[in-house]
Amino acid sequence: MEAGSEPLPLDILITNVVCVFRVRCHLDLRHIALKGANVMYKRDEGKVVMKLRRPRVTATIWSSGKIISTGATSEDEAKIGARKCARCLQKLGFQVRFGAFRVVNVLAVCSMPFEIRLPDFTKQQRPLASYEPELHPAVNFKIKPLTASMQIFSTGSITITASNVARAAQAVEHVYPLVLASRKGT
Amino acid sequence: MIIRKRVKMAAMAAVSSPRPHPVTKIYCPSHPDAVLVEDYRAGDMICPECGLVVGDRMIDVGSEWRTFSNDHVGKDPSRVGDAQNPLLNGGDLSTVIGKGTGAASFDEFGNSKYQNRRAMTSQDRAMLTAFREINTMADRINLPRNIVDRTNNLFKQVYEQRCLKGRSNDAIASACLYIACRQEGVPRTFKEICAVSRISKKEIGRCFKLILKALETSVDLITTGDFMSRFCSNLGLPKAVQIAATHIARRAVDLDLVPGRSPISVAAAAIYMASQASADKRTQKEIGDIAGVADVTIRQSYRLLYFKAAELFPPDFKFDTPVDKLPQL
Repeated sequence: MEAGSEPLPLDILITNVVCVFRVRCHLDLRHIALKGANVMYKRDEGKVVMKLRRPRVTATIWSSGKIISTGATSEDEAKIGARKCARCLQKLGFQVRFGAFRVVNVLAVCSMPFEIRLPDFTKQQRPLASYEPELHPAVNFKIKPLTASMQIFSTGSITITASNVARAAQAVEHVYPLVLASRKGT
Repeated sequence: MIIRKRVKMAAMAAVSSPRPHPVTKIYCPSHPDAVLVEDYRAGDMICPECGLVVGDRMIDVGSEWRTFSNDHVGKDPSRVGDAQNPLLNGGDLSTVIGKGTGAASFDEFGNSKYQNRRAMTSQDRAMLTAFREINTMADRINLPRNIVDRTNNLFKQVYEQRCLKGRSNDAIASACLYIACRQEGVPRTFKEICAVSRISKKEIGRCFKLILKALETSVDLITTGDFMSRFCSNLGLPKAVQIAATHIARRAVDLDLVPGRSPISVAAAAIYMASQASADKRTQKEIGDIAGVADVTIRQSYRLLYFKAAELFPPDFKFDTPVDKLPQL
């Protein structure tokens, strides 16, 4: 995937996929809290938190029928988890219709095989890159057209936040040559 | 008198002859290039070559009287009042009744008879409060006037943009102070700004990033050398130790011995190493107090520096404790 003389495989690990969906009906949170399994009722915030075991996702359910699911490690898993959650609600007796599934946020982690000189990188990438060593040891780098942002550490680890998995991969490809220019050792 | 008549002729000559003179508006007709001399007592401009009085009744725009710093302020006979503050809403030119000076302006209870103070807009009031706060903060760490002025300007820009309207004004003021110090080339650490402000470091950091985005500016990265003189003089270390510490820190960053460490921690560790090698030894705790760094952090950075200690010192440094006897933590 990287344009280089020897194509080195760079593993991009997706750590979190956040998605939202609707069940198209009002839900009685009290009923879910009493009868449902593996749920936590947060009455002050008006939501129920349901944790599924497989796939390991946490779903936050509101009484309007909107649900946010986090913790999945891939987009497909996120969809399976969402459907499982909707199925649990259906079994509790609600007229559930699965709809408007959308992946909102993806967090991925990538590790470069070399260390990076952060001050050099920041100087070349102003104003997209912002580095405040007093506040955080990583450089915050934003890629505007992809709406992706990443945190680049001096050890070579990069944490990417993007709107979907494809964009996260593109972001890594985009930043690889820039980071290569500021690697330690050259 | 003869001179007076010549004045009239010169004046007429100046008006009738449309000769373009690039710089001055009046000039001697026979010596157009002569620089006129001003006679302040009569208000005349006189040509030094021929003595012709070229300009008459010149108004002197200098001050009417001299004011000295040890004079009592209330006796200032200025008729124009204070200078306009250009930072406030573009200069309000309305008339204000000032505080009374004589005994007649106070009624029987001691209250002033005329009580109206022009009501400022709430925007102005908020800005003035912020300026006062900035002044107080800057005063606590003895910042010069140019930094305070820059801070005030930044605050005004940010306030007018209204992007950060929800944030506390004090937080914005502290962040502006931090940015101003950075821009002037004498950065202060966030912890130093925290020490003079009531806002937490986290909030100042957040406001700092928001302001940079709002004003679309960026600031230079901090380097270890920016803080050396301040930390060393606060610790009372001699100049040789300061130079050594600066050298150590710069070499450490060049050799990239301390990747990912904040420049302040590196500076603190360098000061520790330099002071331990000289006659004026300082403990980690003392340095940590001055720099705002935890002493474990100094220890961590010091370990990275200790590894290559011999290369980091400047070549002409006088060792009180040789390199191999430096404390190993």
